[in-house]
Amino acid sequence: MLALLIIIPFISALAMFLPVRKIFRLKLLCGVSLLHLIITASFWRTLPASEFNGYLVLDALGLILLSINSVLFLAVSVFMLGYFQHEQRRNKVLTACLCFLLSTITLVSVSYHLGLLWVAVETTTLFSAPLISFHRNQQTLEATWKYLLVCSVGIALALMGTFFMAIAAHNVQTLSLPVILSNAALLSKDWLKISVIFLFVGYGCKMGLAPTHTWKPEAYGQATGMVVVLMAGGLTQCSFLALARVAQICSKAGITDFYSSILIFSGVLSLAVPALFILGERSLKRAFAFSSIEHMGLLVLGLGLGGIGIFGALFHMINNAIAKIIMFLTAGSIAQKYGSSRIEDVRGIIRYYPVTGIFLILAFFAGTGMFPFATFHSELMILNSAVSTQHWIIVGVGLAAICVMFIGTGRIVLDMVYGPTTEPVLEKKENFFMNVSILAGIVVLMIIGLWMPAHLEKVIRAAALLVAGKG
Amino acid sequence: MSCILVVFFALMILAAYRLSGMIQIFAIQSFVLGFVPFFMHADHLGLRDVALAVGTMILKGALVPYILFWAIRHVSMRSEVKPLIGFGMSVICGAVLIAGAFWVSSSLKLPGKVASDLLIPCSLSTVLLGFLLMVIRTKAVTQVLGYLVMENGIFLFALSLFDVMPILIEMGILLDIFVAVFIMAIVVNHINEEFEKTQGLDKRWAKMGESL
Repeated sequence: MLALLIIIPFISALAMFLPVRKIFRLKLLCGVSLLHLIITASFWRTLPASEFNGYLVLDALGLILLSINSVLFLAVSVFMLGYFQHEQRRNKVLTACLCFLLSTITLVSVSYHLGLLWVAVETTTLFSAPLISFHRNQQTLEATWKYLLVCSVGIALALMGTFFMAIAAHNVQTLSLPVILSNAALLSKDWLKISVIFLFVGYGCKMGLAPTHTWKPEAYGQATGMVVVLMAGGLTQCSFLALARVAQICSKAGITDFYSSILIFSGVLSLAVPALFILGERSLKRAFAFSSIEHMGLLVLGLGLGGIGIFGALFHMINNAIAKIIMFLTAGSIAQKYGSSRIEDVRGIIRYYPVTGIFLILAFFAGTGMFPFATFHSELMILNSAVSTQHWIIVGVGLAAICVMFIGTGRIVLDMVYGPTTEPVLEKKENFFMNVSILAGIVVLMIIGLWMPAHLEKVIRAAALLVAGKG
Repeated sequence: MSCILVVFFALMILAAYRLSGMIQIFAIQSFVLGFVPFFMHADHLGLRDVALAVGTMILKGALVPYILFWAIRHVSMRSEVKPLIGFGMSVICGAVLIAGAFWVSSSLKLPGKVASDLLIPCSLSTVLLGFLLMVIRTKAVTQVLGYLVMENGIFLFALSLFDVMPILIEMGILLDIFVAVFIMAIVVNHINEEFEKTQGLDKRWAKMGESL
């Protein structure tokens, strides 16, 4: 079943290269995403058996990531039905890369061997690069180059970390995750520490943690909205899964304190740095990019603080992804309507597009963690774990950063929605498919903010126990 | 012996200033790298060693240089004109890094039987030289070469860990690097085309184009 889930998108990616009509590709993408979501949903009843000699295993942690991405892809493919009504460009490479991406992200969620995990994460980087330069011009190419280079070097460091892990596991003679976990006491501590540092820097680079976040505002600012949704909600969280796997190993090997201190330091830095830059920002997508650096910081911080923080971080993974659907799909729809996402060109959205205007306000609330959106709860849990472990400085920096982000994003969003009107480049009509996919995101995020289903809580709890080394 | 050769070629790339020359040296380096498994496991040569060696030689020694040549086929400036640090200086920097790598690896002890004492310092030096190349050179193609030299260094390291990685995953890693270069080359080519279209129109872009 797991192999099927990887192969189906892969085959459909190849099918995208056939000479067919544009709309057929979009419909195929919708169909594949829907099928993927249905199969993934069936895993919530019973987890599938392991495949390929234990290389492919789906555990609670992987299930969360897999479900997130399934939902993201469905939302994006529905959105694209609307987007391509006004887009003349060919969509062959775009849809093919999206399908490849779905296939490799699935591989990331189910790989139970550190080498395989690396291969999968690297492949996601490669297939996402052509997506950024969909509108081929100078700025997008520059952004693509920056993304490719920073992430490739980062991923190369992660490869080195994986090899160091192999040296640490000299007595075990394998990098298969369950074997390493059950023989964690046999690992050589010194090599393990070096390996953890390299793995953290490598995967952190891919995740966009400060100070290796520099590719993020460029790439998110230049890529189209739907691509950014997948990058910010899907790809970066794949790397977070890798970091969580490292946390699993560290807690079994008894060096949690060492790893936590790295995570906490980097988390605080990723909270503080975007707050410094957001106030001068003039572009909506770049502002949202800074907000997503902050969310990555929160994830890592939660993982480092432990206890309720781990639960909060895993819950935040889900909320962050859905918030990204709302934020970047709205930003993408606005960018298409006005031909820009800069504050000078886009003003008074509410007058011509009342629904999109309201969506943008709600996106702002979802992204900054306001009640009743679930992002509020998960951010609260992470801060709560900092309070209960008496890390007062972290609490202070965290609260200050969240407030500054709120002010900085609010300044741009409110001006765009209510400011003096500028003329859009497209017809003044709302788009059904775009609005449906954004609305679905808003509804889901509100529902899990008001009421968490017992089954969801059970799965997150199981995943948190895995990360804490008690599963 | 071949470990040292790998470092030596990395240093040569650092000193070379014609793009095509750099790519050729990289190809030779990858060939030498392909021979390392033969030397290391001379007494019990398995199918795995041969597969890995052949895979490395074909992908890194032939296909990757071919793609890089394809990427630069239109570039009018075929030499590295304005490096951030002079050529002599960069070789000295490289030498310092190599010394540093040897010094650091004297305190890193590999557990178990080791094929050669030179393996760790050499791979570390190659990685550092690759980094240096990426940092001090301004052209996009040279940065890709820096990345590749770095990957070669990491790969040299991987050769010491034969039994841990299944062959399939090692092949996956090789393939990934190959695809990475392929996509980088396409992007370089696109940058190139855009640059030629708008040459002289946009100052900012002209700067970026120079960095090819």
